[in-house]
Amino acid sequence: MSTKGTHIPDWLAVPFAGITPAPSQEKGQDLFPTGNWRSTRPVYRDKMPPCNNACGTNEKIQGYLDLVKRGRYLDAYALIKEDMPFPSVTGRVCYHPCEQACNRGQYDEAISIRAVERFLGDFGQALPKDVVKAGPPNGRKVAVVGSGPAGHSAAYQLARLGYAVTILEKSPKAGGLNRGGIPDWVLPQRVLDREIERLLELGITIRTNTEVGKDVSWDDLKKNYDACVLAVGLTEPNSVRAEGENKDGVIYGLPFLRDIGMGTSNVKLGRNVTVIGGGNTAIDCAREALRQGAEDVTMITVERNPKEMPCVPEDLHDMMEEGVVLMHARAMTAVLGNGRVEALQLYPARFSGAVNASPILIDREAPAERFPTDNVIIAVGQHASLAWLPAEFKNERGTIRIDRFGRLGDTMFFAAGDIAQVASGQPLMVVNAVGDGKRVAFSLDRVLRKEPLQERMVPIDVITDLARMNMTYFPHFPRLKQETLLPTFRRHTQEEVIQGFSGNQAFEEANRCFSCGTCNACDNCYLVCPEPCIVRSVRSNGLYRILTDYCKGCRVCIEECPTGCLESVPEMDFDTGVVRMDTAFAITPGLHGRQAEELKNLADRPAKDIENWK
Amino acid sequence: MTTALAQKKKVRINGCVASAQAAKYADVDVITAYPIRPYTATMIALAQMVANGELDAEYIVADSEHSQLSIAHGASSSGARVFTGSSGVGVQFAYELYSPISGTRMPVQMMIADRTLDPPGDFGSEHTDALSTRDMGWLMGWACDAQEAFDNHLLGYRIGEDRRVLLPQMVCQDGFFVSHITTDVELPDTGQVREFLPDYKHPYPLDPRRPVSHGPQIMPEQGPPLQLERARAMEGAVPVIEQAHEEFARIFGRRYDPWIEEYMTGDAEVVFFLQGAHGVTARYAIQHMRQRGAKVGLVRLKTIRPYPTDRVKDVLGRFAVVGVIETNLGLGSVSSGGVLYAEACAALYESAQRPLVVSFMAGMGGEAIVLKEFYWMTQKMLEAKKRGKIEKRTHWVGFED
Amino acid sequence: MPAIKVERQMLPMFASPNQGARFYNPELPQTEPFVPGHRTCAGCGPSIQYRMTSKAAGDNTILVGPTGCMYVANSSYLCTPYNVPWAHTQIGSAGSFTAGVAAAYEAMIRKGKWKGPFPNIICEAGDGSASDIGLASISGALYRNHDCLIICYDNEQYANTGIQASSRTPYGGMTTFSPPGKMVPEAKSLYPKDLARMMAAGHPHCYVATASVGYPIDLMNKVRKGLNHKGAAYIMIYTPCQKGFVYETPRSIDLGRLVVECGLYPMWEWDPEKRKFDYSFRPQNMRPVSEYLKLQGRFGHLHAEHVATMQKFANMQWKMMGVELPDALVRAADVKNVRDMGAAQAAEAVALTV
Repeated sequence: MSTKGTHIPDWLAVPFAGITPAPSQEKGQDLFPTGNWRSTRPVYRDKMPPCNNACGTNEKIQGYLDLVKRGRYLDAYALIKEDMPFPSVTGRVCYHPCEQACNRGQYDEAISIRAVERFLGDFGQALPKDVVKAGPPNGRKVAVVGSGPAGHSAAYQLARLGYAVTILEKSPKAGGLNRGGIPDWVLPQRVLDREIERLLELGITIRTNTEVGKDVSWDDLKKNYDACVLAVGLTEPNSVRAEGENKDGVIYGLPFLRDIGMGTSNVKLGRNVTVIGGGNTAIDCAREALRQGAEDVTMITVERNPKEMPCVPEDLHDMMEEGVVLMHARAMTAVLGNGRVEALQLYPARFSGAVNASPILIDREAPAERFPTDNVIIAVGQHASLAWLPAEFKNERGTIRIDRFGRLGDTMFFAAGDIAQVASGQPLMVVNAVGDGKRVAFSLDRVLRKEPLQERMVPIDVITDLARMNMTYFPHFPRLKQETLLPTFRRHTQEEVIQGFSGNQAFEEANRCFSCGTCNACDNCYLVCPEPCIVRSVRSNGLYRILTDYCKGCRVCIEECPTGCLESVPEMDFDTGVVRMDTAFAITPGLHGRQAEELKNLADRPAKDIENWK
Repeated sequence: MTTALAQKKKVRINGCVASAQAAKYADVDVITAYPIRPYTATMIALAQMVANGELDAEYIVADSEHSQLSIAHGASSSGARVFTGSSGVGVQFAYELYSPISGTRMPVQMMIADRTLDPPGDFGSEHTDALSTRDMGWLMGWACDAQEAFDNHLLGYRIGEDRRVLLPQMVCQDGFFVSHITTDVELPDTGQVREFLPDYKHPYPLDPRRPVSHGPQIMPEQGPPLQLERARAMEGAVPVIEQAHEEFARIFGRRYDPWIEEYMTGDAEVVFFLQGAHGVTARYAIQHMRQRGAKVGLVRLKTIRPYPTDRVKDVLGRFAVVGVIETNLGLGSVSSGGVLYAEACAALYESAQRPLVVSFMAGMGGEAIVLKEFYWMTQKMLEAKKRGKIEKRTHWVGFED
Repeated sequence: MPAIKVERQMLPMFASPNQGARFYNPELPQTEPFVPGHRTCAGCGPSIQYRMTSKAAGDNTILVGPTGCMYVANSSYLCTPYNVPWAHTQIGSAGSFTAGVAAAYEAMIRKGKWKGPFPNIICEAGDGSASDIGLASISGALYRNHDCLIICYDNEQYANTGIQASSRTPYGGMTTFSPPGKMVPEAKSLYPKDLARMMAAGHPHCYVATASVGYPIDLMNKVRKGLNHKGAAYIMIYTPCQKGFVYETPRSIDLGRLVVECGLYPMWEWDPEKRKFDYSFRPQNMRPVSEYLKLQGRFGHLHAEHVATMQKFANMQWKMMGVELPDALVRAADVKNVRDMGAAQAAEAVALTV
């Protein structure tokens, strides 16, 4: 017997006939780690989607679109409510900087984010009970002056933080600019009313017909509240400093809309109406003029063409559809007429581009133009009315003197919204006011809790380059249009012009979202890994794990990540940084014996469940 | 047991059919066939049994002998009892599979009815086809008649499937002399077979409930232990083979020496050393020569793998001259004749008494070895004894004076 | 003993949760029959395919691995990444060993020796095994209609032996057995064997399909269709080989898409019921072959005329599928409109000095 007396040393004890027991599904083939082949490592790092970044209040747009995709409307609504108290309002009126920033705009057409937001807002309005709840009371009282977008937002966030909030509103109805600056056919009053109700449900007190400086004094605010947010907005219309601006038939845009909104208007327009200004308020005024009975409406702008006008292009388009005529590169220098508007004196004009001097250059050398009209509506911006404000907090430009957190010196007063933003050059838009209200609420909270204030975070990585995503996974798909009323019909009614999305439409439109730079649990990395060393127990954003013991750094997952959330990080900390192939051939010590042992015990192992295909 | 024995019966069949009957009695699960004469007759018989419903098995007509053996390998790896077979160049076509099958320790059974290789490609029996694979880790031995063939198949499964062995088996019979000559064969009762041959159960089959990998790649240092294990299994088969033959004798009443059959060797001075069917003709020739006073005997090797070295040494060492009847071709081999000479000599090398050994190239091309040739060969051995020296190592019988 | 009826598995298809523009994979099985810890190259195409196939098949599966990368690199050193039974077999035994396993389970289940639903029996043969040495054994298994699935993971060469030409290596493909040189500037001058169509034509009772790692869900569904088909099925899957094709590892899936978009890997299914080819698979785009070629070092030596020749070949394949050719592709088949590959001149210069 030649094999008599032979023995196989332990370290070479091989399993029977080399038959090798199966590895564990959980641990992988842990005898043979290949991670040391790797020179780069894939890392999940969510980046800031451009929409979230562009949004004035940094709504988690990508996040709620993703939830809508999954049909989780309630979760989507809850997510949007983190940053936005009234999606039903912004879903109608927002100038949607998100859509301008949307990466899909570079590919085919931007996502109709506002329409989805409106869908969610309306979804929320229909809920018998809101998902948002007031925080546990912390025993502190805060006054919010003004119930416009900024005040609304600040009050909402403070209530969620547990403050007892009182809103002071000088008008008979709460809503501020939302009510007084936005026509009914854009934002029906019932929608706003419902949002105000939601505020009340949070335990917020709203005192209407209460004006600071008249009904409540500065000292009252100081005495009765732990802190105060001033969100009084810009209530006074700017004049164009033209001769005869005081004549009958001259109307200012903001009060024109506000009176209609509050139901206190007694304006009677003539057949021909002229609007001065090229912004959103001017457009609203022109369109409102039609609805107030004007036959021919002309809009006169200093801008040389429609593209330069500081307005939402869709609104301009809708206005043109309704028959408003544009007249460009002109300025009004005088209102002509005998006690009442009969005509306007116009000169060619352009913007100078100068920052401090008068920005409009009027060419008075050119012949004056006489433009007959029955009414003129001036809508060239507005300014604040700050008579009640102690002088120490006023600055030379007639606005509130605040620090970068919106705080007035070291007082417990904060300012938010247009009144704070007018000096910063931010577009004075609803969503920006909401964002400001939110941030100021958080700053106020930190001050009251005596915590250091936090700088506004600037995202370091906004994903704006399509090359960082994998476009193969996104077929071209047109943007879904919202239905609108026929122009010939709508110009005479207060009915809402733009119709909302149905659930299916919102779902379909949200599906177009790229989820730029953000993991949306699409499972692609999980599916394409050759090892496979990307594991997950539950399929969910943030729960993918890379087994670095095995990952060879092939980067297929990174290349195939549709959203660009996965990125490659060089392996700097691996020994000397040199990839040593020889180690890949070194077997974990004790391999043979262990495999042999495991094989022997195979019969004792519980049988694997193989009927799980059912 | 007595009632069961009632089914025992004697039939008249040839070696091929006897093999087919053995497969049926062993209740094989998978049969793979590919036609080549003469073993084809076994598969023809099995095809009919399956068609008639006498045997429940998958009967697969493969696309080549290579596939035949691969199918057998796959089926055996899955836990099925497998029967296959071949002849001549067919055995060679499947050559690649012999080592993998024994290396993964799959007890595949292969019936071989010998046939010459090409050339000449005639239908006659030469043992070269199977013998060329003798070192591939298969248990191997020759039957000399149909009854022994039948018995060897059952013994083969019993030994090969033993947990201590787990090796494939080549159960060989000479083409025509066994495969196509009809003789009386006693077919046992199925109860006897069931007692002798338990169900096949490989310890680590390809079973989804207990997943294992068969035949993974290894690194150089892992090779030797695996080869050593295979060598141990082959040697470890020796007691299992002896035990199985004991059991066989107990259950079926036929006793075989598992290694060597001796015929009229008690007082023999010269003996023939051979395998397979020529043992039958040799017995008659010896009787004939004995009547004329020649003290000649027969030593028939029944199992060549594992090779019973000590038995061969002890048995052959008793005689003055050993004449190896090759029936195989070993071109340029030790004796320039066949390969069996080297096996005999190597066993005798350590013997205190070394007989003279001479190799006879007889029975080549499937020719019968006739009485005249036995006389001639005996004459050569007696001359060598007298001279105390062989004339030459190899004689081509029929081509010399 | 009466024969026991053999129960077969019916795996559900992966439905696409995608509606419109959405990209989102369907829910994948939790089970992982192929685990990490194997020695395939980074970004290995066959490995990607192996993973997808085994995941689609599930746990009641037996894998057969004829010699090739997926044997040599995966089951190294008595380690194994297979959590289902796996057996190595000889490179020429792909179909036959698989047939043996299938036959064994038919018999064992029928005879009560193994209890459970008939397992998925999958053979993973490389193109060397499937198109050359094991062709007959696979044909035999298909012809005999064993209930099994034979996959040819087609990396268009013998890769684990160090990149040699197989009969699936495309025209113009450089391998160590088909190097470019002064006399043979195009490297490989033969066209690849149309293996899958050969299998469909010769074994019309089988489910036959082609797939690519570029389309994972399609691939996994074809695997399930093949497994559900009672009888033999055959799928040829394009799996790029980083080592042999010479490309950057992250491109593995991308190449799987491009090869289809360039018309070099027609995707189809053979319906054994209707006895018809289904050519309805349409890639998102159609591209000239140069877009596929330029990513790979093995085509770097090609001159304009070779690229045009390949475009003609691709155009014929589009026509075969009944796809109308856009003008751009017709133009790209004209040598005047094609440029040399980047390294062509360099290769030529080297060849002249040798």
